[in-house]
Amino acid sequence: MPSRLSFFSSTVGSKILIGLTGLLLFGFLIGHLAGNLTLLVGAESFNSYAHKLEGLVPVLYLAEVGLVAIFVLHVVRTLLNVWRNTVARPTRYSDKRRAYHTSRKSWSSTTMPLTGLFILAFVVLHIRTFKFGAFYRDPTTGERDLFRLVAEVYQNPLYVGFYVAAMILIGMHLNHGISSAAQSLGLSNQRYGRGLVLGGRMLAVVIAGGFAVLPLYMYVAY
Amino acid sequence: MSMNLTLRIWRQANPGTPGRLVEYAAQGISPDMSFLEMLDVVNEQLIRKGEEPVAFDSDCREGICGTCGCMVNGVAHGPDAAATVCQLHMRRFKNGDTITIEPWRAAAFPVVKDLVVDRSALDRIVRAGGYISMNVGAAPDANAMPVAKGLADEAFDAAACIQCGACVAACKNASAALFTAAKISHLNLLPQGQAERGRRAVAMVDQMDVEGFGACSNEGECEAVCPKEISISNIARMNREYLRARLVAR
Repeated sequence: MPSRLSFFSSTVGSKILIGLTGLLLFGFLIGHLAGNLTLLVGAESFNSYAHKLEGLVPVLYLAEVGLVAIFVLHVVRTLLNVWRNTVARPTRYSDKRRAYHTSRKSWSSTTMPLTGLFILAFVVLHIRTFKFGAFYRDPTTGERDLFRLVAEVYQNPLYVGFYVAAMILIGMHLNHGISSAAQSLGLSNQRYGRGLVLGGRMLAVVIAGGFAVLPLYMYVAY
Repeated sequence: MSMNLTLRIWRQANPGTPGRLVEYAAQGISPDMSFLEMLDVVNEQLIRKGEEPVAFDSDCREGICGTCGCMVNGVAHGPDAAATVCQLHMRRFKNGDTITIEPWRAAAFPVVKDLVVDRSALDRIVRAGGYISMNVGAAPDANAMPVAKGLADEAFDAAACIQCGACVAACKNASAALFTAAKISHLNLLPQGQAERGRRAVAMVDQMDVEGFGACSNEGECEAVCPKEISISNIARMNREYLRARLVAR
């Protein structure tokens, strides 16, 4: 069907792109959390997981490039939409309130661009802290002792506090993001629309809570 | 028992001049009056004083035509669910309340005067694809084309849209997604709408974008203020229809 607009620049197509990339990033978070939970088992288990992941060299690079591309698409398309949405209402209301009734508007939904930009900054910092952090060698295996770095970083209560706060913001982003992405992709109807919102909220709590437990555990246990 | 209220009303002489909120005292208002009747009383007083009355749109005053609409204390059509502003009654307010009244605000809805905005952008979206093409002739037999009960109900719910524009007004992005989705759903669900199903979805979304409405953030403020309680699940359907049309249909 011919159109005057490219798919990804239309309001509908752009939201489908943002939703799809968002869900892919959410999928990455699930995998990331599953891997990191080996921290709870112990140093050996976590290090061997990290080592195996690093060993998947060609595939790993492909996945990393793909992940960065998805991230960039998600952020850039959203920023373009934020601009378009601002232009769509040049004069603001002097009085605007949340319409209760069935509205899904929440702290999470109104702060999506802000929590999103925070996550972007956090990811850069996070990769610098761990992936490009101090390289310790495990004397017995001769491989990288990533566990030692993680345990060291989480001895600083300030860092633990910052990390937990960051997970709360990520949880807020997911709280609106998961169900919103499903809605944008058309995966909703009148029967389970509300259930989707509830499901998204539960998943957000599980993922953000799961990540937040790790620094707290490392601080207390080591 | 009558009420005395303070109104803060947006006054704007024409599209070219900047507007501002002006305070008016509304005295001796009966709680049984509708919101628009209250504005009528205020206008009578203004006319008697030789001032310009507040311009606002209204027609049927029973919530079926979609002509009226303004922001009442920051909510499109005011605080009642499933109601237009003409169905709002003054008993919803307390004596001494201050009420802020503003026009719908969107780049695609330029202010004509005071509370009156130009909503012809919505007409142009309908014109782009909100119809079915068929040859004229004798009226077809009403039962010639079977429609499943569930589909008929869903199409009817979408068709309840009265094109008031509250969804655009309530949306933080001034998006017309709920309106356009309702119009697409209404026809795309029915057998009569199938021939132009894909073309309709693309043409109407195109027009919505050309008019300068924002994108949908899935907050559901539109659904909450919609006087006809049209569900945002229609927006999910619009996105499916659009995706299908852009990917598959010719």
